[in-house]
Amino acid sequence: MTSISGGGLMQPIVAPQTEASSRTSSYPSVPELRAAFARANDLGTLDVRRLRIGGHILELRFATPGLAPCVLPAFGHLTFDSTAEPELVVHIWDSASGDVAPAPMPRTDPQSPAGAFYFFEEAPMRGVYQPGMEALSVVDLAADDAWYFVKDPAALPYWELAAPIRQILHWWMASRGHQQVHSGAVGLADGGVLLVGNPGSGKSTSALICLDSELRYAGDDYAMVSLEPYPTVHSLYCSGKVHPHNLSRVAHIAPALWNAERLETEKGVAFLSEHFPEGMIEGFPLRAIVLPRITGSLETRVVPASRAAALTALAPSTVFQLHNSSAEALRYMGKLVREVPAFVLELGADVSEVPEVLLELLHELKTAAP
Amino acid sequence: MRYHVNHPQVINETIEGEAIMINLVTGNYYSLDSIGGEVWELLEQSLSVDDIVSTLGQRYDAPEGIIRKAVVDLLDQLVGEQLVVRDDSRGTAQSAPVAEVPGGRLPFHNPRFEKFTDMQDLILLDPVHDVDQRGWPYAADSRAAN
Repeated sequence: MTSISGGGLMQPIVAPQTEASSRTSSYPSVPELRAAFARANDLGTLDVRRLRIGGHILELRFATPGLAPCVLPAFGHLTFDSTAEPELVVHIWDSASGDVAPAPMPRTDPQSPAGAFYFFEEAPMRGVYQPGMEALSVVDLAADDAWYFVKDPAALPYWELAAPIRQILHWWMASRGHQQVHSGAVGLADGGVLLVGNPGSGKSTSALICLDSELRYAGDDYAMVSLEPYPTVHSLYCSGKVHPHNLSRVAHIAPALWNAERLETEKGVAFLSEHFPEGMIEGFPLRAIVLPRITGSLETRVVPASRAAALTALAPSTVFQLHNSSAEALRYMGKLVREVPAFVLELGADVSEVPEVLLELLHELKTAAP
Repeated sequence: MRYHVNHPQVINETIEGEAIMINLVTGNYYSLDSIGGEVWELLEQSLSVDDIVSTLGQRYDAPEGIIRKAVVDLLDQLVGEQLVVRDDSRGTAQSAPVAEVPGGRLPFHNPRFEKFTDMQDLILLDPVHDVDQRGWPYAADSRAAN
């Protein structure tokens, strides 16, 4: 796997602006994007991979070799061989590995923070340019085509590799009735939970500790949910991130760390499907929303929580990381929390108790179900 | 005096009587308990302050002055947080009679209004710019996060 340098421990979260369409004729057009990808494709190094996310088949077309090592590892558990027609085709290329001209990119204010997003929308196109990464994500929701261009894969921060093409997936999956959420997810084939909360709540640690148990892992930071025909969680990424000072609590993932030599400046990132292939799960029916909370007590236990508390834990960090459609996303999450019960997971001193407590909760919910 | 929610800057959802509000520009988010959620719901209906107080007075057992002060204080806080805007227009919405509460009126307490700022610092690092009318690649300066 190509070694990629990354940024600092702070993972950017983006505030959405109020929704406003731009009336423009100068955003990158579909012909421009197709032409730019075609030029890259002239290298003759096309690599095509298929993913299955939430039952949808996606095709990733890598015209240059530099981005496959950055994008594919997080989808290790969702990659499969198929001849079925894809529902979305994502065209992916970079300048550095192919020495090709970049895609049309905007000029931006050099004083703008590195994490700034430049968003545009003119139906059916949506796109975002991230100057800090020199990355462009565009989707044509009418044609089910998308483009992901990065100038130099070596400049991508670690968090982008942990959650690649996230904006494209958010927009396209929303058009199919799904909602991306800032959440961990663990469960069994017949039911599982979302783990929701802000950074530092214990969400990631709670998800990662379950790898060492009967519970299967569907993600620690982002997941996708559906409401129909019943609330369901779909895994997006097999990655997990751990703050270096928490690594001792989830020592079983240490062999899977991709950036072990850079933990002084980065969160540890692991692509877990390689080391825990039986520990992954594509999705499950949603049985409860769980809010991890560090209490300082000895015992780990769950106690009922209000649906309002669940929405407060789930929605703001989700909304601020997605652009756009914030009001719709909040309504969607409001519907979700009304469908399932919520619990606080009071984390005791021994985090190894977490899987057993969650398994017991799932068993009780299953037993109590009409 | 009437108020309206500061859309589209503010988005909100009410769950089991509790209101959650998110200010997309400042990065702050808020919750209101059941009584505060009722005030929020009534102002969303464009009721005047007098009608809000009257409606709550039919449901809660407290002197009108206590309820009025609580409502006005809350509305001032909501304005201060840019969640609602004062509306000087002459609205016509009027309160509907409140169904009699079995067992009599409920005890009243000042609405609980919580503000969360943990998203704010991260947002200042990563502002979102919408492209302005000139189009890509020009950012709409007025829409940059502060």
